[in-house]
Amino acid sequence: MRVPIAWLRDYADLPADANAIVARLAALGFPVDDVELRPQLTNVVAGRIVKLERHPNADRLQLCTIDIGAGTTLLIATAATNVADGQTVPVARIGAALAGGLTIAPRKMRGIDSEGMLISAEEIGLPAEWFEDGIMQLEPSIPLGTDLVAHFRLGEPVLDVDVTPNRPDCLSVVGLARELAASFGVELREPPVYVQYEEGGDDARVTIETVDCKRFVYQRVSGLRVRPAPSWMRVRLALAGQRPLNNVVDISNFVMLELGQPLHFFDWDHVAGKHLVVRDARDGEPFTTLDGQTRTLDARAIVIADDEGPTSIAGIMGGQRSEVEPKTGEVLIEAANWTGPRIRRASVALKLRTEASSRFEKSLPLALADLGAARAAALLADEGGSVAMPHAAGMPATAPAAVTLRASEVERLLGFAPSAEEIERALSSLGFAVSREHDAFAVTPPYWRGDVAIAADLVEEVARVIGYDRVRAETPAVAPQAIGSFAFDRETELAVTLAGLGYTEVLSLSLQPGSVAETWRAAGIAIEQPVEIANPLSEDQRWMRFAIAPALLEFAARDRAVRPYRRFELGRVFAQASPDPRESVHLSALHAGGASAFGRLSSDVQALLRRITGLDPRVERGTFPGLHPGKTAALYAGETLAGYAGVVDPRLARAYHVEATTALATLFVEALPRYQMPTYVAPSKFPPADRDLAVAVPERVLSGELVAAVREEPLVRSATVFDEYRGPQVGAGKKSLALRIVLQSDETTLTDEAADAALARIVATLGERFGAQQRT
Amino acid sequence: MSDLDTNLATLTARFRDAVATATDARALDEARVAFLGRSGALTEVRKGIGKLPPAERPGAGKIINEAAAALEAELGAALARVENAALTSSLEDTIDVTLPGPPATFGAIHPVRRVAIDVARYFTRHGFAVVLGPEIETDANNFDALNIPPDHPAREGLDSFYLRPDLVLRTHTSPMQVRAMREHGPPIAIIVPGKAYRRDANDARHLFMFHQVEGLMVGRGIHFGHLKGMLVGMCRELFGPAADVRFRPSFFPFTEPSAEIDVKCPGCQGTGAVAAVQCRTCGGSGWIELGGSGMVHPNVLRSVGYDPDEVTGWAFGCGLERIAMKRHDINDIRAFIENVPGFAEGLA
Repeated sequence: MRVPIAWLRDYADLPADANAIVARLAALGFPVDDVELRPQLTNVVAGRIVKLERHPNADRLQLCTIDIGAGTTLLIATAATNVADGQTVPVARIGAALAGGLTIAPRKMRGIDSEGMLISAEEIGLPAEWFEDGIMQLEPSIPLGTDLVAHFRLGEPVLDVDVTPNRPDCLSVVGLARELAASFGVELREPPVYVQYEEGGDDARVTIETVDCKRFVYQRVSGLRVRPAPSWMRVRLALAGQRPLNNVVDISNFVMLELGQPLHFFDWDHVAGKHLVVRDARDGEPFTTLDGQTRTLDARAIVIADDEGPTSIAGIMGGQRSEVEPKTGEVLIEAANWTGPRIRRASVALKLRTEASSRFEKSLPLALADLGAARAAALLADEGGSVAMPHAAGMPATAPAAVTLRASEVERLLGFAPSAEEIERALSSLGFAVSREHDAFAVTPPYWRGDVAIAADLVEEVARVIGYDRVRAETPAVAPQAIGSFAFDRETELAVTLAGLGYTEVLSLSLQPGSVAETWRAAGIAIEQPVEIANPLSEDQRWMRFAIAPALLEFAARDRAVRPYRRFELGRVFAQASPDPRESVHLSALHAGGASAFGRLSSDVQALLRRITGLDPRVERGTFPGLHPGKTAALYAGETLAGYAGVVDPRLARAYHVEATTALATLFVEALPRYQMPTYVAPSKFPPADRDLAVAVPERVLSGELVAAVREEPLVRSATVFDEYRGPQVGAGKKSLALRIVLQSDETTLTDEAADAALARIVATLGERFGAQQRT
Repeated sequence: MSDLDTNLATLTARFRDAVATATDARALDEARVAFLGRSGALTEVRKGIGKLPPAERPGAGKIINEAAAALEAELGAALARVENAALTSSLEDTIDVTLPGPPATFGAIHPVRRVAIDVARYFTRHGFAVVLGPEIETDANNFDALNIPPDHPAREGLDSFYLRPDLVLRTHTSPMQVRAMREHGPPIAIIVPGKAYRRDANDARHLFMFHQVEGLMVGRGIHFGHLKGMLVGMCRELFGPAADVRFRPSFFPFTEPSAEIDVKCPGCQGTGAVAAVQCRTCGGSGWIELGGSGMVHPNVLRSVGYDPDEVTGWAFGCGLERIAMKRHDINDIRAFIENVPGFAEGLA
């Protein structure tokens, strides 16, 4: 909310230093998002035009003789056309500093010395288009010679105060002044609401037909003359960001900003039947609001209707038909209270959020309606209006219920014990009625604090006033607990290990456009039905990601200058399922570029699996969406399918414009078995013997199968494939695999004969099982 | 002087010449072969023993053996000398130390994960558990159980992504509080890092998908001071030993009292300026908003079956991107999802 410090000072004697006010507001829970500094003006005073004459040398200039009090008159030339004898106007004297860096120096205008300048609102830093064309008009009641900079407090900053939704009472200047007054320990000067009521003339009737109208205060004011509001009100409104229009409309805006109660004034002559009905809007009911737009209502909105139909949308915006006009003479003040959520739903449905609706939707105190009407009546009376008695329909305004607060509760929550006197003083300063009963307080919140309902709420109030800085930092002792950190620890280890293996973690958005799934399907790849967002802001957010690979492929294509390219992401993927969508944690890695991307990625992922699970991964042929059906390894940790590594599906490689050799892997993080503690195997004391073995096998035989068979020989300590060859020397349909086999016994030094015998057994096994022929 | 003595003297002189002129181990080895080897000069002398009268033979053998041992010792000393000389001269060698080898293959974790790990390390050191939760939540867990009533604006789809009327992408990590408390009785001390979603457009300060870390501690005698203590410690872990924390009153439906957490700006140490220029990290205020916190609202405790008269607790939530931005002086939050080559590596 935009709050001019100039306006705050009307209600409390606050410190001169604006920074102290800003800091205190923040400490009270109202952070100031922005401080708008105002131009620093000097030498602007109120003066009266006592004589007006043509400039002898210029048709478009007039010479004004200005009385600025204390027997001083100035002769000032002006080009403004709205000047007239007897007007009270702002005068910039010689030496004045004005908005926009303008300064006033002695100067001749067409041969005559001009002793200053008559100025417009723009020169005092207010928007020119919000005020009269030409010279700003002041009231004759302002004493001549008054320093207008001090009078209007024009130099004070304007604050943008952040008000939390539980404090609609502070969406008002008085509400914030009240908080500041309590905190600084100064008196709050509430605005006057006294008014002399007129008898009779009271024929208004109001019928309430909806429970969401909780209170409806109405009051007629006649004998009005629509004209500009007094300058003090116009300046305050303009500083607060509200455009002044005329005295009547300005008063409704002024009271809303001052007290937080939105008002509506009906032009009483334009209320048909002098009977207002508060009811649900009808579906499809058309209505023209006072901004000139015709809107179609539905039953979510509440309208205030007269005999001719709706004439205002309750809590949101009035209608054009009963709008205050220049010739309006009589108004009906409406100061109502609405169920907050109802107003918000209506405002959302109409896509119309106003200053009024943003206050009502937070549920205002009932009593504020009566206060708001009385304040408006007082101001309208100042403008010459005759005020009839107020009436109210709906619920009576009752005070919030008393809350019991034990002193020990303050210490229990805050960790320190303010004295009973401190507690009492803190609450009293905020308007709470406090009575002490032994170690407890019976605390009755003031009418504007509907947000306070339990003891913890009062503890916060106490802390706010005595200062959150009183909370002492202590380190708690945490008891041993049953909850573990397994999932997080594993994700951390996966990510850190894979980073150590040369892969960089990326972060992509979990919401994506439909084009991602379309690309995969168009490539002929079957994917599970993705999860749809019901209310995305844009099509880019409509679908939850079904896999991480699409993002990795996009990055690989975008960053094609970077090769080899190793990236991974660890996060959740989503699929439609019954009854609820399913989410699973995936780790996907990509390796693009380099001679054998698949081999590198496969080795890296297997090393990762070994590290994470303590198990030597087992590799089989497999298939996985997005991977080449003939070039995909299924990775097992023990009996658990841990994931897949493979060469990207060539159809995707083409769609994403990445190398056909690009390799992708995905691990199913939640499925990975917990780390199995490996058992120590004492190394043999006897020397190992190496043997190289080359065999020709049919092409379909997997090296992994071959190695597994070799390892069945008890003397084999390790077996590694170090070459794969296809070509004329082994013949069509076959390949040659070369293995290095390390043989070792725990009991004896292996003789050459024993090693050769073991190798012969291996060759026999391979021949039997795979049709392998030893090559020499 | 006997012939033997003469022969040995001559041989020794020749040997010493050869050793003295040797400048490397190879030349010395040649000398060893020539004089002490199987068919070397000494062996020739030894053959002469057979021509001596039998009575002189043992004496001669002894003399030859002694001579051989002396020569071996000299050879050893010479070998040590040339090796030392070679080492000494190798100290003069230089290489181009700026010439890179094959590039290291080291990747990097994402800076947001780094923050989560650092926060988790601090809290686990103090006995907290780190738990993770689903990103698709029931609106009951995301809102109702957290004392956010059905009328709250956040529930009408203004700020939240809905999948169905009863399913939402969690708008904060707080629903995991509810899950953890339902599963485990008090006392409980957990943190919850993870993704959250707000229905918003991405800009320099907002992502519709972001990361939070949630903290929760409930038990007997747990108060606001404990929250402050843990947060001060966390900020020192993240921003260095000078970090300090202050609370400002605020409002959240699920805590009462509630507080915004500010941390003293790591860029200017709270002064608001760096070298007389307004501090870029905090914008001159000297403090940085870190997140929200407060004492768990009694309604939240009740909703998970805890008795608010028996136990109290606190909770907080911070944005991880925000912390990472302050740590690395990043001005545009979108940098975290752009994944420009070198981004994570440069911040690791």
